[in-house]
Amino acid sequence: MVRQHHDVTLEWPDADRETRTIAVSEDETVLEAAKRADIALPFGCRTGACGTCTGRLLEVDGAEPAAGDDGRSTVGIDGAFSYRRSPRALKDRHRDAGYVLLCIASPRADCRIAVGASVHTELVDNPWK
Amino acid sequence: MSDANTPSDVEPEHEHDHHDHEGPGYATPQAAIEEGDREELAYVMSLYVGTDVDAPDFVAVVDLDPDSETYCEIVDRIELPNRGDELHHFGWNACSSSCHMEGLERRHLIVPGQRSSRIHVIDAKDRRNPELVEVIEPEEVFEYDLSAPHTVHCIPDGEILISMLGDADGELPGGFLELNDDFEIEGRWEPPGEIEMNYDYWYQPRQNVMVSSEWAAPKTYYPGFDLEDVEAGNYGQRLHFWDWEDGTVEQTIDLGEEGLIPLEVRFLHTPESTHGFVGAALSSNVFHFWRDESAASRAADDASGDEPRATGEYRAEKVIDFESREHDDWDMPVPALPTDILISMDDRYLFGSNWLHGEVWMYDISDPSNPRRADSLSVGGTFGEVQEVQGRELSAGPQMIQLSLDGERLYWTTSLFSSWDEQFYPEEGERGSVMLKADIDPRKGTMELDEDFLVDWGECPAGPARAHEIRWPDGDCTSDVWQ
Repeated sequence: MVRQHHDVTLEWPDADRETRTIAVSEDETVLEAAKRADIALPFGCRTGACGTCTGRLLEVDGAEPAAGDDGRSTVGIDGAFSYRRSPRALKDRHRDAGYVLLCIASPRADCRIAVGASVHTELVDNPWK
Repeated sequence: MSDANTPSDVEPEHEHDHHDHEGPGYATPQAAIEEGDREELAYVMSLYVGTDVDAPDFVAVVDLDPDSETYCEIVDRIELPNRGDELHHFGWNACSSSCHMEGLERRHLIVPGQRSSRIHVIDAKDRRNPELVEVIEPEEVFEYDLSAPHTVHCIPDGEILISMLGDADGELPGGFLELNDDFEIEGRWEPPGEIEMNYDYWYQPRQNVMVSSEWAAPKTYYPGFDLEDVEAGNYGQRLHFWDWEDGTVEQTIDLGEEGLIPLEVRFLHTPESTHGFVGAALSSNVFHFWRDESAASRAADDASGDEPRATGEYRAEKVIDFESREHDDWDMPVPALPTDILISMDDRYLFGSNWLHGEVWMYDISDPSNPRRADSLSVGGTFGEVQEVQGRELSAGPQMIQLSLDGERLYWTTSLFSSWDEQFYPEEGERGSVMLKADIDPRKGTMELDEDFLVDWGECPAGPARAHEIRWPDGDCTSDVWQ
């Protein structure tokens, strides 16, 4: 049986790093594939609980996930990835906004993702400031 | 459950014979003050997790000897084998609670990864050049349905107890993991279902009591601080008082809204004492707790002759309140966020750090019910009067603190937790943490910033690192317990 791969493009929005595209098998996570390609992505628990590995979906199969009036993306973010386990570090508002936990997510489509430590910091603001 | 040699009753006399002091540590807290040498080295948790620096966390060995050519420098770094750990708190395999145990040494550091749930054992026999000797992998920990290791204390017979904040999925309940003296997982210490949330703990074996505090489920605090979670009741506000020998909760005190997120919890060092303190970080208060023996009398009076006599109850009362402060650049009043506290070895002073305000403080706790503010330093943080040391801009407020055994030097670092740092002090990730020091005059109750002292994690070879908990090689004010 031929293993299905998808092209996953990794972009570091706030870091001076070159964009990389890696082939990720449907039975491996983006984090595992990045490690195989010798690309360092942030991670912590590797069980979907801590959010350290958070990425943000920028494009699925060539379509940008444009937000609708309700702030929800108009492309099928949930269809872009399959989770090995429940992504417990993400609240509904995060999932709706296109955030994805790369330690437990395997792609189901070609996609482009913002990665790196700065993406994780988007999840919560300073509530007093 | 450990077979720790603890008395089953509160008795003025105890079996622990200090005349046969042949094991690690000191016979009494006063002996630690008198016999302990000045701290010449510090071990400091140092981390890269959550950043784009492609390097594992490390244990820094910091030179604190003013006569050394490498004073204020990181003279050794014990790199761990994996990235992603988030080193946070750590402890010794043995402390003064085992001072009767011939052949046992205060030699191995137990260094958990808060995010990874991986547990490292470092042999520090060579104090300046420790080496990693054992690694317990996360999967071994998850088998016991536990994750997120936090506080490490030794049990008086050479075993090790670690508070665990979540289950294997990073959800509640947490619990306690016990290691044997070969650094193998012995199992869960407590019967299942005793608590939901967990955080720090401290035990007082002569009183057969342990106290534990509450942060939240790992999945709640890992990503960062979200007010929605406060409103949803996802953060803790309770203290649990345990039967140390049985490993069961005897009493839980709900501190209420003024006791939100009770973090570091300390009993006084003197082993007879039932008094202690806990800092409630989010509500910016400090609570005093103590065993009220008069409750025993009342309970006994109410009891019929056949009922067992009650032995008192713990009480908790807010004794320090830090007011929020207005700041032009913030939309709402800034809470102080007292994140760490410690008690001087002579039990006279309570020290603490207000991470958001930028303050270290000392209170005279000679009367623990009525702490008296002795002095404070305004440094770093949002309001600190001192915002740079030796030209080095400070990125965050004082956080983890450690005091010399003689109570004359207070040291602190500035990182709280990588994701929370990013939220409140994002520049810390770019500049790294610092370690600072104040000189304390215990007689006068004063503190003065030592501007000649600065250790800079911004200059680490792989890039700026964060620095968290501090330990001395031969015992300190936040790890030693006496029987």
